[in-house]
Amino acid sequence: MEQILANGIYLGAQYAMIALGLTLIFALMNVLNFAHGQMYVLGGFVTYTFYGQLGWPFVVALLASCVTLAVLGALIEKFLFAPVIRRSSREESTMLLAAGLAFFFDAIILLVFGEKQRGVPKIVNGVLNWDFRIIMPYDRILICFLAILSIVGFIVFMQYSKTGRALRALAQDRTAAQLMGVNVERYSMIGFAIGAMLAGLVGGLLVTITGVNLGMGGPTSIKAFMMVMIGGAGVISGAIAGGIILGFMEAIGLAVLSQYGDITYLLIFVSLMIFLAIRPQGLMGKPWG
Amino acid sequence: MPRLSMIQWTGLLVFLIAVFVLVPAYIAASGRTDFYYTLTSVALLSIASAGVWLTFYIGRINIGQGAFALIGAYVSAILVTKAGISFWLSLPLAGLFAALVSVLIGVPILRLRGVYFAMITLVLTQVVTLTALALPVTNGAKGITSIPLPGEISVFGLTVIPDFAGLENPRLAFYYTSCALMVLTFAAMYRLVNSRLGHLCRSMQQNEELASSIGVNIAYIRVIVFAISSFLGGIGGAMFGSIAQSVYPSSFQVTDSVNFMLNCFLGGLGYVFGPMLGTLVLYFGWDLLFELGRYQLLVYSGLLIILMLFLPNGLLSLRIRGKGVAGR
Amino acid sequence: MSNLLEVRHVTRKFGGLTANNNISFSVNENEILSVIGPNGAGKSTLFKMISSFLPTSSGEVLYRGERISNLKPHTVARMGVVRTFQETTIFKSMTVRESIVVAQHLRAKASLAGYFWGTKSAREDVESFGRYADDLIDFLGISAIRNELASNLPQGNLRALGLAIGLATDPKVLLLDEPFAGMNHDETMRMVQLVRKVRDDRGVTVLLVEHDMPAVMSISDRIIVLNFGEMIAEGTPTEIQNNQKVIEAYLGSADDEIGI
Ligand SMILES: Nc1ncnc2c1ncn2[C@@H]1O[C@H](COP(=O)(O)OP(=O)(O)OP(=O)(O)O)[C@@H](O)[C@H]1O
Ligand SMILES: [Mg+2]
Repeated sequence: MEQILANGIYLGAQYAMIALGLTLIFALMNVLNFAHGQMYVLGGFVTYTFYGQLGWPFVVALLASCVTLAVLGALIEKFLFAPVIRRSSREESTMLLAAGLAFFFDAIILLVFGEKQRGVPKIVNGVLNWDFRIIMPYDRILICFLAILSIVGFIVFMQYSKTGRALRALAQDRTAAQLMGVNVERYSMIGFAIGAMLAGLVGGLLVTITGVNLGMGGPTSIKAFMMVMIGGAGVISGAIAGGIILGFMEAIGLAVLSQYGDITYLLIFVSLMIFLAIRPQGLMGKPWG
Repeated sequence: MPRLSMIQWTGLLVFLIAVFVLVPAYIAASGRTDFYYTLTSVALLSIASAGVWLTFYIGRINIGQGAFALIGAYVSAILVTKAGISFWLSLPLAGLFAALVSVLIGVPILRLRGVYFAMITLVLTQVVTLTALALPVTNGAKGITSIPLPGEISVFGLTVIPDFAGLENPRLAFYYTSCALMVLTFAAMYRLVNSRLGHLCRSMQQNEELASSIGVNIAYIRVIVFAISSFLGGIGGAMFGSIAQSVYPSSFQVTDSVNFMLNCFLGGLGYVFGPMLGTLVLYFGWDLLFELGRYQLLVYSGLLIILMLFLPNGLLSLRIRGKGVAGR
Repeated sequence: MSNLLEVRHVTRKFGGLTANNNISFSVNENEILSVIGPNGAGKSTLFKMISSFLPTSSGEVLYRGERISNLKPHTVARMGVVRTFQETTIFKSMTVRESIVVAQHLRAKASLAGYFWGTKSAREDVESFGRYADDLIDFLGISAIRNELASNLPQGNLRALGLAIGLATDPKVLLLDEPFAGMNHDETMRMVQLVRKVRDDRGVTVLLVEHDMPAVMSISDRIIVLNFGEMIAEGTPTEIQNNQKVIEAYLGSADDEIGI
């Protein structure tokens, strides 16, 4: 029981971070970022390169992941998404662009890092064993702690900083924000950069535990979509709730259903469908339509 | 009900001659028999893409066609290998089963719109793959292999379709079958889009509330359209399984679902024949880039991105713009 | 039966807000009844409940003695009760004539499959839709815009198109939500004539929400007044104009656009 709880928190915290980035980008520009999972993988590979290959301190490598992805996110927004949004009024166009980007990142990762699974040395050794009720390696606990810290940091940033407030205004109502004097173009770019950065940060954190490989991108995006649907698209609290719920469902499913093979996700999907039939806007989303 | 004009009849005739006479003649002359496989794939993928296009026509972004193609492939494979049913009977059954599943899933999820629907259909593809891995009847990761080739159909002792296994060139037979199915599909699509169902779809795409205020049962039409769409996915998948003589959980993946959507976008969402063109261009483009080896995916996706930047409304929009007709 | 439509103790709550509180009234056949009230009084909500676009929280709406509330919009439309929208709601990339043809959905005799195969009754339907559309276009006097794309029409014509789409369903009761909004004086006068003609020539019973008081006073047989979700008055235009409660309601509201 305690073990499931601990696993749920651990999974939930990292999932929430992925979902946060996705939902931020969605809220700001109505873009469904198919490439989110690939950004996560890229973040993992950057940390792998700096920490695993070059032997730099882990924190520095993590920062490098953040910076790389933030810059990448900003460039993508400025030179790809912004022009396409301007030129085409259909929301599908940005989706297509994002799908193209997902392929593109996959191609780059394939060329630069190859197909193999990559891992890095453990950042801390040892395993916490609390009376055989909770068994968890220390590095997982540390990563979980760092993830929660980042989420808290993100919330504080969105609530209290000037940029955060502008981003929230933008997410709420683009036109109104523009009228209020928010520089829409600039903050869209910043928002996209932050979203991408969050993906890179999780990638960097998790590479120390799960390692990283090319094939992780797509499934990660899909999980992120599920979380966002559970919580309600474009809502920050929803992304966190969605992440934690999915994390717990997975932890419980893996513990209870492991002997039946891979049906955990089937069950999660069926419950998601039933849930969405009753509440199409998700837990915290605004009703629409 | 529109009657085809003289030009349209001619166009159709030229197309049919090209597909059924000229292409096989060219391939026989040049010896490039690998084109059969390529073109057969294009025909089948365009059938599945046509289904995706139809869901676009009611204003839903469908990234779940891979799921229905996989379902169709498995249903046909299971019926042929385990129940010993003729492939030709299993083909419509595969389509119908996919349609049935889509009705069950569609009733709750078709209420979702925009990216919400897109997201859940994307998840669906993944879930069907996982289900195929988990179920005993689909034989898990090992998949179903050594599916026999389609058998003979005869009416009153007269052979209508010969036994594929006895043919010296089953590839040609698959090519003809797939192209015939494609022509049928698109003829039906053209008909459908220009019939009342098509008009109602268009009204729903533009404004669901207004459509229901004029008495359109939007929930019903959505389900019908989604079922037709998935039927086409199932048919395409079943044909593929039969050609490859095997089905695996990875036969159709999320990437395939995304590609079906890309085909429609690329061809243009406003035109019935868009998915056919889009599939042809994307598939051939991908094939041509094969020469580039490890840079294939990079160049391909790069081109896609550039295309989106400069032609956000699809290839056929070029023609429209050229004629000076107002786009949408 | 003279009571064509009956609204019985209808209440609608949105969370803590009561948008309609225990509203009851009835509508006679072939009358033009207006519902007025300040912004946010609950007029559109009432219309949405009558046309089943919103479920009621309690109470019911009867049409010829049958309940039409808490059904599906298309079912109610099929029974002959059709609404138009307050916002300009149109089929953007259809022409005026196409919109009117599509809107005749309910008059179709052939099945959807029949249209696909092009059966005789489907061909007859298509022909009759075309004829009816042309008749309706002439009736509304909008033949100049027959083949215009809806998205290219100016505001005044959009309202006419909205009315045309509603009329194409061949309704018995038509609910018009602010049909004169955004129109200048001349356009309003023309539209008023049109609505009258719809009632007189086609026998359609009209319910109307409107802020344009002169128009309301001239067109209505009876008027119902809502304020903060309560029905505060009911009567002929003259009675309403002299009703103390109504005057207070309007004076109390910040909107002085309404010149009673
Ligand atoms: N879907 C909804 N959810 C929550 N509140 C709503 C909803 N629809 C309407 N309301 C509220 O109910 C009240 C009545 O709204 P309604 O649209 O019926 O007013 P109205 O009389 O039509 O106003 P107007 O003249 O501005 O059109 C308003 O306070 C509105 O904010
Ligand atoms: Mg209103």
